[in-house]
Amino acid sequence: MIGSITDIELDEIITKYRPIITFKVKKSIGGQTPDWEDIANEIITNVIDKVKSGEFRGESSIGTYIFTITKRRIIDHIRGKSKILRHAPEVDPFPQPHVYFENKEKAETLANAIESLKPKYKEILYLYYYKDLSREEVAQKLGIPPNRVSERVNYAQKLLKKILKP
Amino acid sequence: MKKCNNESKIDDYLLNRMSEDERESFEIHYFTCPVCFKKIVERNELISVIKDKGSIIFKDIQEPRQERKPSIFESITALISPKQWAVAAVSAALILVIAIGFAPNLKKQSPQFFINDDLVRGESITLISPVININSVPDQFTWKSSGKDVEYKIYIYNSHPLWTTTTKNTSITLPEAVQAKMVPGEKYSWQVKSFSPEGTLIAVSRKVQFQITN
Repeated sequence: MIGSITDIELDEIITKYRPIITFKVKKSIGGQTPDWEDIANEIITNVIDKVKSGEFRGESSIGTYIFTITKRRIIDHIRGKSKILRHAPEVDPFPQPHVYFENKEKAETLANAIESLKPKYKEILYLYYYKDLSREEVAQKLGIPPNRVSERVNYAQKLLKKILKP
Repeated sequence: MKKCNNESKIDDYLLNRMSEDERESFEIHYFTCPVCFKKIVERNELISVIKDKGSIIFKDIQEPRQERKPSIFESITALISPKQWAVAAVSAALILVIAIGFAPNLKKQSPQFFINDDLVRGESITLISPVININSVPDQFTWKSSGKDVEYKIYIYNSHPLWTTTTKNTSITLPEAVQAKMVPGEKYSWQVKSFSPEGTLIAVSRKVQFQITN
């Protein structure tokens, strides 16, 4: 309930949702667009205002409420840019790593870790992510069932986490 | 880390392989699911690096040229999840441990004995008498038969070999000269080996110790 959300709780909400909002904004309008930071900040300010003013009545979860505010702001941004809105915003083509990696070294370390994987795992990451093949296409190329593709990708990521563990 | 049923949608979302409705529904989900959001971020980092640095990372990769269908074995094994494989492996290990644990009780184990330094497996000869401490010098040594036409070789020791002989019977009478060498209070041991008519060692008894207590 609105009245029961204290400033401390609001801080916790913002701390929790800032990265989620930022991620969604970057994914929708493109992290290379300089506007993303301003838009994300506007959304957060908007959330704080609405919660403080009692506009958020707890009818939906706070997560769903913040998603709605985020989505609307992104649509407004795209509408402002294109003046035409036929559909919801088109997703951005895959952005460059520096958009998601604040630390370039981290990206470099991850790249090295991928390079050190066994051929079996490197091959699947290459086909599935780099060559952008579908699960079925990868499965056919490697002669494995499609559900094994996701399993192998997940395991590759597990191995990477193990390698990168400090 | 906790699991979420929607995790399987992460790749399709990040690779833009979802319809508009599916995408929105998944976005609402990850706004309320910290487990999925954490995994989205991790996977997104992985994909971003691959997209950007793939030409360097995969410079040595030779793309599989021939497409092939999964074998029947691979198709069958794919029906079983890694978790189920793990359970099956643990069960198999348990069965093996139980089987090994009970096996000696089910079948009498074949004895092992050595000739020089060579390990030999064979049947065992059961010694009958003497096998416990006795109060006088024994004059007869008895054991169970280990087959027809078998020749037995008997060895009697104190700290060193004391006497040895061969017989086709399952007992021997100790010569008085040997009995005279055996004194009360001393510990002795004896052993029997059996040989086939061709001279092949076929069975060995345990080395049994006894003491003349008188």
